[in-house]
Amino acid sequence: MLAAYLLVGAALFALGLIGFVTRRNLIIMFLCTELMFQGIVVNLVAFGRYPLEGAPMLSGEVFSGQVFSLFLFAVAAAEAALGLAIVVLLYRFKGTLDASAWTLLRDE
Amino acid sequence: MTLLADASTLRLPVDLYATLPFWPLLGAILTGIMLALRARTERAHWPVVLGCTVSAVLAVVLFFDLPGALHQEPGAGAVVHEALAEPGGHAAGDHGAAAEPVGFTHTLYNWISLGERQSLDPESDRWLAINLYFDGLTGVMLAFVTVVSLMVVIYSIGYMRDHHGHPLRGYERFFAFMGIFVFSMVVLSFAGNFVLLYLGWEAVGLCSYLLIGFYYKKPSAAAAAKKAFIVNRIGDFGFALGIFALYMYIRPLTQVGENPLDYAVVFRYVGELTQGQTTLVALLLLCGALGKSAQFPLYVWLPDAMEGPSPVSALIHAATMVTAGIYMIARCGPIFARSETALAVIVVLGVIGAVLAATMAMAQYDMKRILAYSTISQLAYMFVALGCSAPASGVFHVFTHAFFKALLFLTAGCVMHAMGNIIDLRQFSGLRNILPKTRALMLIGCLALAGFPLLAGFWSKDEIVHSAFAYSPVVGVLMLITAGLTAYYTFRMYFLCFHGQTRFPKEAGEHPHEMPPVMIRPLYLLAFGAIFAGYLGVTFGGIPGESFLGFLQPHGFFHHYLGASSIVSGEHHGGGIWLMYVSAAVAIVGIWLAWMRYGDAPAADPDKAALRGLWMLWNAKYYVDEIYDCVIVRPARRLGSLFFATDNNGIDGVIWFVTAVPRGLGAGLRFLQAGVLHGYALGMVIGVAALLLIWGWIEAAAT
Repeated sequence: MLAAYLLVGAALFALGLIGFVTRRNLIIMFLCTELMFQGIVVNLVAFGRYPLEGAPMLSGEVFSGQVFSLFLFAVAAAEAALGLAIVVLLYRFKGTLDASAWTLLRDE
Repeated sequence: MTLLADASTLRLPVDLYATLPFWPLLGAILTGIMLALRARTERAHWPVVLGCTVSAVLAVVLFFDLPGALHQEPGAGAVVHEALAEPGGHAAGDHGAAAEPVGFTHTLYNWISLGERQSLDPESDRWLAINLYFDGLTGVMLAFVTVVSLMVVIYSIGYMRDHHGHPLRGYERFFAFMGIFVFSMVVLSFAGNFVLLYLGWEAVGLCSYLLIGFYYKKPSAAAAAKKAFIVNRIGDFGFALGIFALYMYIRPLTQVGENPLDYAVVFRYVGELTQGQTTLVALLLLCGALGKSAQFPLYVWLPDAMEGPSPVSALIHAATMVTAGIYMIARCGPIFARSETALAVIVVLGVIGAVLAATMAMAQYDMKRILAYSTISQLAYMFVALGCSAPASGVFHVFTHAFFKALLFLTAGCVMHAMGNIIDLRQFSGLRNILPKTRALMLIGCLALAGFPLLAGFWSKDEIVHSAFAYSPVVGVLMLITAGLTAYYTFRMYFLCFHGQTRFPKEAGEHPHEMPPVMIRPLYLLAFGAIFAGYLGVTFGGIPGESFLGFLQPHGFFHHYLGASSIVSGEHHGGGIWLMYVSAAVAIVGIWLAWMRYGDAPAADPDKAALRGLWMLWNAKYYVDEIYDCVIVRPARRLGSLFFATDNNGIDGVIWFVTAVPRGLGAGLRFLQAGVLHGYALGMVIGVAALLLIWGWIEAAAT
């Protein structure tokens, strides 16, 4: 069963990655990073439900997967608030959501 | 002989006296706050003036309180002298008890632990303390330092203003520095150990630097300040080594609880040092004194130091700071008295300095420079006194010299002020009608400096000549000749300035005028000192009937006073009373010669025509500055530029090579940083994928 969950997680992560690399719209790119997060969350929950042989146990149960995914939600929420605010600011500066409009960090 | 003394024998609480250094410092801090707040006020002088006043009052009270506290019976000083009368004091060891000076140390607080704590009890450690030393020498130094400082500070209120009475730029700065100077000088004189002495020593040097460079926008002033500081560094290096050596030699002799650098401890154990150790320490300490007191061969900074404002020249470079070297040698009497070699070196350098400086002063035109050379010459007199085992006479001359030399510099400042900052004697003459009060005051100063009978300088100089004759007739004769030269060049300056036809430079304006009372009044007190300070060193009632001068014998109150101090005198007077007549005659002949040649302030210098080459040599100051430039300054510069080149080419080259490698790598990879977000993301993905693949391969290979 674990493998199926892991496959779903890997698929989500890969989709997010491909989207992030290929799309130019900042909001889409941002959503793709969220997709990658969710892929990881699926992984974590899966490992929490089906622990590997020899994994450290606390009173017969493994909660670290679930706990980690809760952490990730919190981090993702904070990151979404910041990220979207940055996207809005970038839009105000250039009037476009095209990521390739921003190349300030290159070496002159 | 019981000469036990401690703080409880003073009439006023000792802690009150201990505040003495801090009043001028407090004043300086307040003035500094004014400066920081940019409160551009005309009254910025008040804190420092008040601080100096409190200090001066305390110091004078202390001066008269001390003799009682030290149980100084009349003649007790003489007992001390007798105990050490053996010239050179070779038999130091068995005289140890008798030689122990009569001062006492008052500790304010423990400053630095010497790291020898035996138990939890701090008493078991040795401490370098902030402590004060009370004895006759301290009393004398504090009294004249604070009084002369106060007079100079009051004078400065008028001097540091322009012709409209507005304060000059940097008015607050000037008074703040003066306050710090007085604080440092008092700390120097009051210190109870060598480290505190050194602290005051360096602090007065710093103030000297800051005040010589007061007009820091003037390149010559900045250069003079640097010169003074650097030349003093040379001397102070030796001084510091001397203190280190003293610590090294004294420490093994001391017991727990004794700090090997406290005066009292040093003087207790100095007799147990070997002859070689004592001589080494004495010569190293002498190095410091040569720099600070502007003696040959380290005197070159003092004439240049006249770039500072006149009150600074008067206070720091004539009356007080430059006497620190004399003070230090007198203070270290128990050390120097045990080294015949060191004393001989002091005499030789003193004689050279006295003659050199006096002759150089003969051929100068800058009033302040003439006075500077005369200061060097007079300090050299004091050195000769120290070397001739007559430190009390040396300190006596320090005391009288402070009054008349400060007076001379301040009156020269008045002339300079009236002449629009022109001080060259060729540019003005006949000022007696324009500056009558200044003229009268300067005449008193000149007479005292020339050693005119019955004025302050006469008594102290005469004592030194006596001691010099007792030491060696050659030294005595040279001292007498120098006394004649002193009288001559002093009055050459006086006549050129005040006699002859009245003329003044255009910088002086249409109507040059006398100075305001705030500048003249403090000079009255100094003039009083210049006339009467000498009588402190004279006993009334020698051999009545022999002669008028015989009635006034040297060795009065002053010497008894100094008897209760660390001064070690092996004084013996040679020559007898006739020498007093001779030195009086020499002074009068010098003045008379100056009157004959310069009485009407001739435009063409008669000496220049008469002495030709010799005069040119004197005028060029024996080319000493040029010789130093060739022998020391330029080689040092060349060495510096060699090091500079080594650093620039050799060391920097290595560093350049080290940086070139990463720089080249960076240049090759620079194109990768294009600023496009997708490129970075792709790079990251590929990188992670590659790492994972490699890791997978390694895992596979391992299993």
